[in-house]
Amino acid sequence: MFSDLSSQKEGSSLLSRPASDDPGPVFERTQPAYSPCSDRYRVGERSFSRQYAHIYAARLMQMRPLLSGRAQQKWGSNVLIRKLCDLQTGEQCCVVGTLFKRMDLQPSILKEISEEHNLLPQPERARYISETDELILEDELQRIKLEGKIDRDKCVTGSIVAIYGIERNDGKFTVEDFCVADLPLQTARPTLSSDRFVLLASGLGLGSTNADSMLGLQLLVDMVTGQLGDQGEQSGASTISRVLLAGNLLSQNTQDKDASTKAKYLTKKTQAGSVEAIRLLDEMLLQLVASVPVDVMPGQYDPTNYTLPQQPLHRCMFPLSSVYPTLQLVSNPYQANIDGVRFLGTSGQNVSDIQRYSSMDRHLEILEETLRLRHLAPTAPDTLGCFPFYQNDPFILEECPHVYFSGSAPTFESKLIKGADGQDVLLVTVPEFSSTQTACLVNLRTLECEPISFSAFSADEDEENEMNISH
Amino acid sequence: MTTKHRLITDSFKVVKKARRGGREKPTPPPPQKEAETELVKEEQLHRLREFDLDWRFGPCTGITRLQRWERAKLHGLNPPEEIRDLLLQKHTDLDCKPSLWSEYPL
Repeated sequence: MFSDLSSQKEGSSLLSRPASDDPGPVFERTQPAYSPCSDRYRVGERSFSRQYAHIYAARLMQMRPLLSGRAQQKWGSNVLIRKLCDLQTGEQCCVVGTLFKRMDLQPSILKEISEEHNLLPQPERARYISETDELILEDELQRIKLEGKIDRDKCVTGSIVAIYGIERNDGKFTVEDFCVADLPLQTARPTLSSDRFVLLASGLGLGSTNADSMLGLQLLVDMVTGQLGDQGEQSGASTISRVLLAGNLLSQNTQDKDASTKAKYLTKKTQAGSVEAIRLLDEMLLQLVASVPVDVMPGQYDPTNYTLPQQPLHRCMFPLSSVYPTLQLVSNPYQANIDGVRFLGTSGQNVSDIQRYSSMDRHLEILEETLRLRHLAPTAPDTLGCFPFYQNDPFILEECPHVYFSGSAPTFESKLIKGADGQDVLLVTVPEFSSTQTACLVNLRTLECEPISFSAFSADEDEENEMNISH
Repeated sequence: MTTKHRLITDSFKVVKKARRGGREKPTPPPPQKEAETELVKEEQLHRLREFDLDWRFGPCTGITRLQRWERAKLHGLNPPEEIRDLLLQKHTDLDCKPSLWSEYPL
């Protein structure tokens, strides 16, 4: 992007003689129209006394009409939709319900307690699926085991599906076909006259023991604030209208477990690792917010609540940068309209949790699957921490986003998908910056996305000797 | 050594029984006049319990009856209007707020 611009102007490249007293041109940064719509992810009252049955009940209540509609679209309007309690053996019909995958390897607190029985503790695994997993469909009253044409390993607990098939004599349901809620409707995107970019970055990993990433991060900040490159690149940087930091700003190392295991009098004088890291983050944000609006989402290792939806980081942690109105501290599932383009995304906990409990491997594939299920985090509250909502499930997508992202991915990937009702959605997995030195730029006009890499002197990427700030 | 044969209850009086007896006393026997209103109340409570037991409106532990009614309304399940009226008119009455199962430990 920027290299094209710099090659156009031969006279003004960095290699030319510096201009005498000319302060140089000023590039105005474009200011997009911005409206946050993350209110549904704010938790007002924090009562944890309720059970999680409510969230599953509310999810099924909300999704049942949608899925019944999809089922009628797919299998004809006179398809027989039954509740499990009315099911007749040998009758072909359709059932809407919540999937539950019974998994032997799933970690369970009860199994851990049974160490008394001299069982070995379960090893930590990257993935908990096994050959003995069983898929079960539940509705309000009953459950039934599923077999047949449904990919057991790909499904995850908590997703709402409609299945079509026959109940056999042995009490199992043979699935012939199934459907999911698919993409919700989308509001049209306004046509923009010029290219504008939103920069997405995730996993800055401040406070880690590995200081390599700091140079890349500083280069990123300098590039965005227009302190890098020649005039062509600076004018390019002025088209970046917003920066979105998608979680894991602090490194996992800042969460030292020492404080909780050691005696209080030993750790009294030691400072938590996150204090220094937050100070670094504040200084880095200060450079950014002085020049560009920044949205800061919390992630898995950041100092806010653990359960989804994660609430915004507190302003008092950023004494330097929080005086700027351009700093927006936002919740973890994050939703906003930027120039009429609807952004929706998370810091990646939902995706990495599904990766652990299904056979799907690529973050992009999982991201698309959650969009098709019309649910941000189907595995919450089963294996992912979640606030016990009772009235509605805020993770159900009611409107289709234009840009759907998840942070803390191992690599950058993006894909433009088209829905059946003319939806255009850009899926982006934002790579972890501390390990890949890569951020990504989303063009609001064309919905294209490109990575921008700062892997200059990274130890593990020897092949790149030159600083690469182009695509 | 007389002190050895003393029982602990000599120095610490048994208070449990006395308290139990004391608690029962202040509840006055229901007067005859209120018998009719008591019947109506019983009938209303019965309707509320029926609402609690209707599985279509979802689980009822941990939330109040009104919250459960409002959730059902929100998701278009058509909960009976009379239940809401009952709950709103008796919103001061404590036995009507939480559901049937509220006293059961989780």
